[in-house]
Amino acid sequence: MQASSGMLTKFESKSSRAKGIAFHPKRPWILVSLHSSTIQLWDYRMGTLIDRFEEHDGPVRGVDFHKTQPLFVSGGDDYKIKVWSYQTRRCLFTLNGHLDYVRTVFFHHELPWIVSASDDQTIRIWNWQNRSLLCTMTGHNHYAMCAQFHPKEDLVVSASLDQSVRVWDISGLRKKHSAPTSMSFEDQVARANANQTDMFGNTDAVVKFVLEGHDRGVNWVAFHPTMPLIVSAGDDRLIKLWRMSETKAWEVDTCRGHFQNASGCLFHPHQDLILSAGEDKTIRVWDLNKRTTVHTFKRENDRFWVIAAHPEINLFAAGHDNGVMVFKLERERPASSVYQNTLFHITKDKCVKSYDFQKNVESPTLLSLKKLGSPWVPPRTISYNPAERSVLVTSPADGGSYELVNLPRDGSGAIEPTESKRGPGNSAIFVARNRFAVLNTAAQTVDIKDLMNNTTRSFKPPLGTSDIYFGGTGNLLIITPTAVHLYDIQQKKTTAELAVNGVKYVVWSNDGLYAALLSKHNVTIVTKILEQVSTLHETIRIKSATWDDAGVLLYSTLNHVKYTLLNGDNGIVRTLDQTVYLVRVKGRNVYCLDRAAKPRILQIDPTEYRFKLALVKRNYEEMLHIIQNSSLVGQSIIAYLQKKGYPEIALQFVQDPATRFELAIECGNLEVAVEVAKELDRPKLWSRLSAEALAHGNHSIVEMCYQKLKNFDKLSFLYLTTGDNAKLTRMAKIAEHRGDVTSRFQNALYLGEVEDRIQMFKEIDLYPLAYMTAKSHGLEEECQSILEATGLTEEQLSLPTFGEPLTPPKPVVPTYQANWPTKETSQSVFEKALSGQLEGLSLEDQPAAANGLGEAGEEEGARQDLLGEADEEEDAGGWDMGEDIAVEVEEGFVNVESAEAGGAASSEADLWARNSPLAVDHVAGGSFETAMQLLNRQVGAVNFAPLKPRFIEVYQASKTYLPASAGLAPLVNYVRRTVEESDPRKVLPVIPRDLEYLASNDLQRGYNTMKTNRLEDGVKIFKGILHAVLINAVGSDSEAVEAKKLIASASEYTVAMSIELARRALGTADAVGKNAQLTRRSLELSAYFTIPKIEVPHRQLALFNTMNLAIRSKNYNSALSFANRIIANGAAGKILESARKTKAQCERNPNDAVEIEFDQFAEFEICAASHTPIYSGTAHEECAFDGSKYHSKYKGTVCAVCEVCEVGKHGSGLKLFA
Amino acid sequence: MDPYSAEGELINIHNHFHQGQYQEVADFDVATLSPENALPARVLQLRALVALGRADEARADVQGETDPALEAVGALADQALGSAEAAVRTAERLAQTAADNATVQILGGTVLQAAGKSEEALALLGQHQGSLDAVALIVQIHLQQNRNDLAVKEVAAARRWAQDSLLVNLAESWVGLRLGGEKYQQAFYVFEELAQAPATSSVRTLVSQAVAELHLGRTEEAQAALDQALTKAPEYAEAIANMLVLNVITGKSSEELASALHKADAQHPFLTDLAEKSELFDKAATKYKAKVAA
Repeated sequence: MQASSGMLTKFESKSSRAKGIAFHPKRPWILVSLHSSTIQLWDYRMGTLIDRFEEHDGPVRGVDFHKTQPLFVSGGDDYKIKVWSYQTRRCLFTLNGHLDYVRTVFFHHELPWIVSASDDQTIRIWNWQNRSLLCTMTGHNHYAMCAQFHPKEDLVVSASLDQSVRVWDISGLRKKHSAPTSMSFEDQVARANANQTDMFGNTDAVVKFVLEGHDRGVNWVAFHPTMPLIVSAGDDRLIKLWRMSETKAWEVDTCRGHFQNASGCLFHPHQDLILSAGEDKTIRVWDLNKRTTVHTFKRENDRFWVIAAHPEINLFAAGHDNGVMVFKLERERPASSVYQNTLFHITKDKCVKSYDFQKNVESPTLLSLKKLGSPWVPPRTISYNPAERSVLVTSPADGGSYELVNLPRDGSGAIEPTESKRGPGNSAIFVARNRFAVLNTAAQTVDIKDLMNNTTRSFKPPLGTSDIYFGGTGNLLIITPTAVHLYDIQQKKTTAELAVNGVKYVVWSNDGLYAALLSKHNVTIVTKILEQVSTLHETIRIKSATWDDAGVLLYSTLNHVKYTLLNGDNGIVRTLDQTVYLVRVKGRNVYCLDRAAKPRILQIDPTEYRFKLALVKRNYEEMLHIIQNSSLVGQSIIAYLQKKGYPEIALQFVQDPATRFELAIECGNLEVAVEVAKELDRPKLWSRLSAEALAHGNHSIVEMCYQKLKNFDKLSFLYLTTGDNAKLTRMAKIAEHRGDVTSRFQNALYLGEVEDRIQMFKEIDLYPLAYMTAKSHGLEEECQSILEATGLTEEQLSLPTFGEPLTPPKPVVPTYQANWPTKETSQSVFEKALSGQLEGLSLEDQPAAANGLGEAGEEEGARQDLLGEADEEEDAGGWDMGEDIAVEVEEGFVNVESAEAGGAASSEADLWARNSPLAVDHVAGGSFETAMQLLNRQVGAVNFAPLKPRFIEVYQASKTYLPASAGLAPLVNYVRRTVEESDPRKVLPVIPRDLEYLASNDLQRGYNTMKTNRLEDGVKIFKGILHAVLINAVGSDSEAVEAKKLIASASEYTVAMSIELARRALGTADAVGKNAQLTRRSLELSAYFTIPKIEVPHRQLALFNTMNLAIRSKNYNSALSFANRIIANGAAGKILESARKTKAQCERNPNDAVEIEFDQFAEFEICAASHTPIYSGTAHEECAFDGSKYHSKYKGTVCAVCEVCEVGKHGSGLKLFA
Repeated sequence: MDPYSAEGELINIHNHFHQGQYQEVADFDVATLSPENALPARVLQLRALVALGRADEARADVQGETDPALEAVGALADQALGSAEAAVRTAERLAQTAADNATVQILGGTVLQAAGKSEEALALLGQHQGSLDAVALIVQIHLQQNRNDLAVKEVAAARRWAQDSLLVNLAESWVGLRLGGEKYQQAFYVFEELAQAPATSSVRTLVSQAVAELHLGRTEEAQAALDQALTKAPEYAEAIANMLVLNVITGKSSEELASALHKADAQHPFLTDLAEKSELFDKAATKYKAKVAA
């Protein structure tokens, strides 16, 4: 077996001879019946023995699982058929009837039937629901060795030592036992009679065909799952294939090869193969169509007795003299390779397909690899070269070979490769755009080959190299059984080595900085220079892995998708019901290939690992986001947080007070600790808290703890140290009250009250001490009175010499009033955010605040004043309205794409300049003069100074500086916007700040200035937009239209803002109010401010402003008209409300106090220079570029809006698209 | 055997030099080299010193040497030190007397080209006999003259006899960046391969990679590569200049970088060119005037 290639043993058990095997249809279980009377239930995936069933006497030869019920059946040499429940783990009942050994037992696929074959020459069908014998099929005249139901039809096939195979028709039996339908009396009689005939003949089950051909006894027979074929194995060492039709059956062919009795055979459930096992210790695989041997697997010492196939997945089992083995015929890992957003993989029928992760579509077949290797051996690996769009495929067939093929641009059906390079090798991968490496394990050489398949260099890899992988640019990862080497191809030497056992696969992270080395049970993460980052162990097999963009490795085991962070933290993402091979993670989707090589998408919940990743990276915003948006709280995450040293974060999740207390102490959050301690009120907690608080210097909490603990001594000492004499006195009183002398003494000592102490000593009759105390403090009177009281004289006493009396130091600072500067509590950003202290990180998603429209809460008066006082507008910081106005961005600006140019020239910059009709291309080419000419001709540009920044900007963007030979200036290259183009007549320069950029950046900034009332900035921005569009290019006519819109819009805003700025320039509200002239002009300008066609929300602002101004000047009629316009414009909020109020107010007195030149009913536009109306129908001039209007007298001046063009000079029109 | 060939002794130091890893060249252990390779290795190390901005050391090292190769190094150092005239004089003299010396060809060609004497440089370099250094220089000079066609031919010819050499790949990539289209991607692969492998990475290769990305329109990736380069060498003028270009293209502010570039290399073509263009603009703008003064 060891010598055989191709077969992959997944599980082996050691036991006595195995005679019967059955796979569980869903779970990874296998039942094995042994010659020793035991039935074993194994989990072949984990390799564990789940259960043993021992009720049979003597060998058990047949077992079978029920397809759906938790049942199995067994038959043995004790003539008994037993039905078991593997849930209750006992035999449910026994079917008795056979008169000799039972050879095989099988459940029917849908009916509650069991078919059994026995040495008593009969085949019997039983009903396991009512536990009865339904039918006994006689006819064989020797032992019946095997009997099976047909998977679909009402047929049974049996094999016997009488050298025949028989096919039985059991449709009669089904009819009889199916649910009774409406039946006539005659039918019922007939049926009753029929039953009786059972006793004699077999009308329920009749022999349909007798297949004769074997020269010896037949041991096994099986139906094909779909085709009308039968395969049988006999003691004549032959495997015979039979075919049947409705009416007859015949022998098709014989597979010769076994040189001992063939004991079992079956059809491969999915492929055109036959498998057989024999006493010659071999398992043989045959091609069903050619009847030739495909594989032979030989086992050293064990004869095979039985073979079985898993009904669903590609697994087989064979029983032999010393146990069973579970194996598969071929690797099921589909070869695949991921490049950016595309997966390339090889399907079961050996076609190369690709899968687009963005569109989630699978391509048609790109390439057929039918001719690669042998037909029954799937390719092992595929390596993709994006530069050449070619693939390198390896196959283990014929000792290993590789093939280099180009992929067609787009697939359209199975395409045979037109041209391919091939050669022998076990592993082949691309190492550079034009190089690939081929490993030959037998010769132990690695060849580096170019795309012509010529070897450019060759070297000996480290001893025992088993595989090679891409190792980063210019490097190889060389895998040996015990280590991984990073090999530099250029220098031909190992640059790093890491001892890792049995690495099988290498998966690089998307940024190429890390690689995961997968072995059977280990994942080792290394950096690109092969430094180990982390490693982890799995008890079950690791199948595949892929990296998240954030640097999290997701890997799949046989039954789980798991993740691991770079620091080795890991966990389960989800369970799997079937093995898959991960290829890519994107958001909540995991892309994988299943064993049928079909791309599948698994949904996962990445919350847990993202949270942990955010934690590791201290990305608090992300964590907050996760906490808010998912239900992540659980014991595991808390334990994790605590273990990883984030108790303060864990604290946020915990409800249980005891845990909360622990966490609070751990992270030094005393507030929480106190809170919980109060709640629980246990001495133990208080003492821990006091210790912690003391360490913090938080003596008020310490005091509280001691109070709670009634720890008077400590409390006194605390008061002493904090200098709280008042409380210390009180402590003394308490001590007196309690009659605790020691405590009193201590307090007196702390307080320095000598009299008190003497008094106390006297009270307890300790006169010597009282005397000593008095003496030492020089209290002679007291001494005398003590001496008198005790009747002694001073001479009778021998006194030690006294030093200075000690007095406790007097407190200098009233420390007790406040805590000491307490130890920094570890209140993290995160915590603050959770408690809402941190701005911009609060839990509530605030609407994008601070849009500058001011606080709604500001005073009404201020609101009224603001717009009048133009000069103060900077300080006030915005239009004073609590209104958030969302401006819809004009959509539909498209990328600036190819335009065209023509001609040929020397330098590329010259090409642009000479041949493009667009000013911008001339600018980029450095030909400023011609650009100016063009602009002058197109839009009458005359004043170029304001355009200089834009000219320089475009010009700057046009060239790069490539460092080339040392000592020489860098090579200048020209940046193109036509990246794909190489025809020198069509290349065009790159344009910074194209239309799309302007629309999504500058324009929005401009809108913002309007909203936030920063009009000076706004004018600048909008003029900037005009200049940027003037020197620009677009990709299509529709974009040119968009550009025109942008110009018009910027122009209107510029005019509007200029008008308002002019009004503000008139003077302060007071100054204007005093001067009738100015008042009038001010009102007019404010009215004109509402005329330009700016976005509606902005117009509302203008109208509101104007309306208020009008009211203040008692121009109620005008105010009314503005209010009406506001209301007509709709929208919502304060402005509208205010407008309604104003309207009501003004309608009572619709008169204007100041006459102004503003006819609300007339149609007019505003002259951009003089800011006066141009009534419809009067002659006027305009700017050819931005379209702003002017009174005729301004003809020939520079446009006030764009500051570039001459008013009234009509050119050919701005050209942005060639 | 050619000492620069894949099996030769000088392959690594030579590659280091052309990958822009000058420090590695300067630190290269030359003691183990065979005697006939000692001089070429020394020349390489001296050239690396010049490239590292330590031209004075190189100058001192070759002071008084009479070997034409070392004299050529002296000319190179002179030029780096600002005495271009002396350098050109030496180079021209060597071109007369020792034009068959490969080092003289390369360094003389460099000095002449840097002084703007392209034709002389080409004439000198044209005498090379299978020197890839010379080929690379010729290619660069052709490109600077905008003779892309000649550059393409030169590379194609070299490709035939020095298939996979680093210099051929580099020269081809230089041409590729000029030609564009699919060639951008190929050039990018070459630079990326060099820049991303720790053994071959240098600021120069990183900047080259960034330039390729920029031409491919992949501004984010270009930004990343330039950031890498600038972390390695914050003062590298080419990195700053290209970062500046990138910032302009992506619409970001570039003033800070402009002053950084000024500091790093006030004579950088980007700045001189810009000043020239600014003047041109002002001059051209005066030709136009509004009819009526506002």
